[in-house]
Amino acid sequence: MSDTAAIEVRGLRREFRVRQGMFAPAKHVVAVDDVSFSVPAGSVLGVVGESGCGKSTLARLILGLLEPSAGDVLVDGRRLGGMDRRARARLIQPVFQDPFASLNPRRRIRDIVAMPLIAQGDIGREDIARRVAEALDRVGLSQDQGTRFPAQLSGGQRQRVAIARALVLRPRIVVCDEPTSALDVSVQAQILNLLAELRRELGLTYLFISHNLAVVEHIATEVAVMYLGRIVERGESERLFAAPRHPYTRALLASVLTPEPGLGVPDVGLGDIMPDPANIPPGCRFHPRCPIAVARCSTEAPRPATDQAGLVECHLA
Amino acid sequence: MSALLEVQGLRVTIGSTAAVRGVSLSVNKGETHCLVGESGCGKSITALSVMGLLPKGSLRETQALRFAGEEIGRYDERQMERLRGDRMAMIFQEPMTSLNPAYTVGSQMTEVLRRHRGTPRAQAVDRAAELLARVGITAPGLRLGQYPHQLSGGLRQRVMIAMALMCDPELLIADEPTTALDVTVQAQILRLLAGIQKDLGLGILLITHDLGIVARIADRVSVMYAGEVVESAPTAALFAAPEHPYTRGLLSCVPVPGKVKRDEPLGSIPGVVPRIRPGFAGCGFRDRCSRASAACAGAIPRRNAGDSHEVLCTLEPGWGGKAAA
Ligand SMILES: Nc1ncnc2c1ncn2[C@@H]1O[C@H](COP(=O)(O)OP(=O)(O)O)[C@@H](O)[C@H]1O
Ligand SMILES: Nc1ncnc2c1ncn2[C@@H]1O[C@H](COP(=O)(O)OP(=O)(O)O)[C@@H](O)[C@H]1O
Ligand code: SF4
Ligand SMILES: [Mg+2]
Ligand SMILES: [Mg+2]
Repeated sequence: MSDTAAIEVRGLRREFRVRQGMFAPAKHVVAVDDVSFSVPAGSVLGVVGESGCGKSTLARLILGLLEPSAGDVLVDGRRLGGMDRRARARLIQPVFQDPFASLNPRRRIRDIVAMPLIAQGDIGREDIARRVAEALDRVGLSQDQGTRFPAQLSGGQRQRVAIARALVLRPRIVVCDEPTSALDVSVQAQILNLLAELRRELGLTYLFISHNLAVVEHIATEVAVMYLGRIVERGESERLFAAPRHPYTRALLASVLTPEPGLGVPDVGLGDIMPDPANIPPGCRFHPRCPIAVARCSTEAPRPATDQAGLVECHLA
Repeated sequence: MSALLEVQGLRVTIGSTAAVRGVSLSVNKGETHCLVGESGCGKSITALSVMGLLPKGSLRETQALRFAGEEIGRYDERQMERLRGDRMAMIFQEPMTSLNPAYTVGSQMTEVLRRHRGTPRAQAVDRAAELLARVGITAPGLRLGQYPHQLSGGLRQRVMIAMALMCDPELLIADEPTTALDVTVQAQILRLLAGIQKDLGLGILLITHDLGIVARIADRVSVMYAGEVVESAPTAALFAAPEHPYTRGLLSCVPVPGKVKRDEPLGSIPGVVPRIRPGFAGCGFRDRCSRASAACAGAIPRRNAGDSHEVLCTLEPGWGGKAAA
């Protein structure tokens, strides 16, 4: 393992222009707002936060599928902007939530898994067949299943196909965006176990996005909590779960309903206002929902504070 | 105590799928009964059977289907319509199933009361505003004039709950009401449901695939698998001493912070939920069960595993010792 971070992002920002109604004027949505972090090789950074907070946008920026409005993404020490697509594909690969949407329904599984190899343009047919067979084997699919079509497989098997396709070029880094969110809990466990095993055996680095904190706790070595485009807390997983510092992190953790009878449903204390990425509040963007906000929070935006325990962005932390 | 809702021997066949295969369950006044299992186990079809809302072409048989002591299994559509939204109400995962995009929140909420009770408009509006406030909506007046698409998912779900409460139902059936919501909003909505139940004393049949939700709000749990209730018990008993291999497997799959070390595998169940055809015999779980024996292809006994704790399995209760994981 080298000292170079597997992923490093600096001042990353991405805006979108959106219209909220047919005749409404276009607005700017800042989906990712001045995000910086680095992920050491071999580790797993979990990213959590409510829907719309910018997790998928962050994933697509890191994968090079979206251009940043500002800032840089470095993968394995190299700037992503301007990198050749084929070189990028050998370095970093995605696994998305809905394998059905990301697999071509008219192609056989083995052809789907072969796509990244074919796109390289310089790999021989025999080599391709051998590496596809290997990849299927790795993710627990039979060679016979390789001859089928996506519709003939279950949701969990399709997610295995997506993982095989992501691994066939032997990348160093895999970005998983809600990879188990569409699956039943028994199948989710199968896929999480597979991802953990692959990481150990192949020395992979993951960026792992999920709205399920218990899933992230299980798989991530470090966790970043996003709120309206910003990382409001980051830290080693054990520390973050044991001693959350940001009030939003505390609310997220409080809302995890573990299967322990008798505890009831906790009051997460967030009120009924929902965050709107097109209308980011002044001051601390969390203040309208924050249970501990003081006057200063509605006028002055907190800056990120970094120490040994990680990063936190709150006036009161 | 006589049950508010009593279902006995419910069977539903849809085309070549035996969706529900002999389900019995009851919900008492003031009780939350959770129906839990993975997708395709027959939870929604069970709920829709009670409401008389099964998809076209479904075949329903029951030994008994009683609501507040009255047999409703033979009610015709007109009689069911009178019950629905009045004495029994249902909320769904997707609020737009019950909300009409073309009408304001206020006009839809008042319409329920006017239809069932003939309540004058002004009075119905007051009631709607009162209930919106009860479900934690801070500006009820504003929301009454808005259309569903102008609300966030969490607000829509609150509106749907308020609408279901308009006629003071005795029974509320909630089918995955928080599955599409963020965890923060989910906790808020569940807390709200628990509070409403305490205040109004209604019976709730809550469907979920999430054992965390079950543990936190159910009084009683029925675990469904492949169209059958494979285990049913008071909540504390089910989690302290789960008996059915499916229940135990399901519990071991759920990630719980601090329970399984990173890099150690979660428990898992191989394979997937099967689709069962009519005429299927034996235990529906046997292909995935690590304990299956030849006996599991035959008739499966419903065994008693404690005080109102029943298990559908060939194994003797107590076979695996104390709690699964
Ligand atoms: N292609 C796009 N065009 C316009 N807005 C977008 C686009 N992609 C994402 N957004 C907006 O950016 C914000 C963050 O979205 P996303 O990254 O998908 O969040 P998450 O994955 O956390 O749910 C949302 O407000 C979303 O509507
Ligand atoms: N409208 C329908 N037409 C045909 N089959 C259906 C229909 N709805 C449900 N089913 C089948 O009935 C079984 C039980 O489904 P359901 O009650 O929706 O499961 P759950 O709610 O537990 O996920 C499944 O095999 C499903 O495919
Ligand atoms: S009846 Fe047999 S197959 Fe079914 S759960 Fe029990 S042991 Fe397993
Ligand atoms: Mg997303
Ligand atoms: Mg369902």
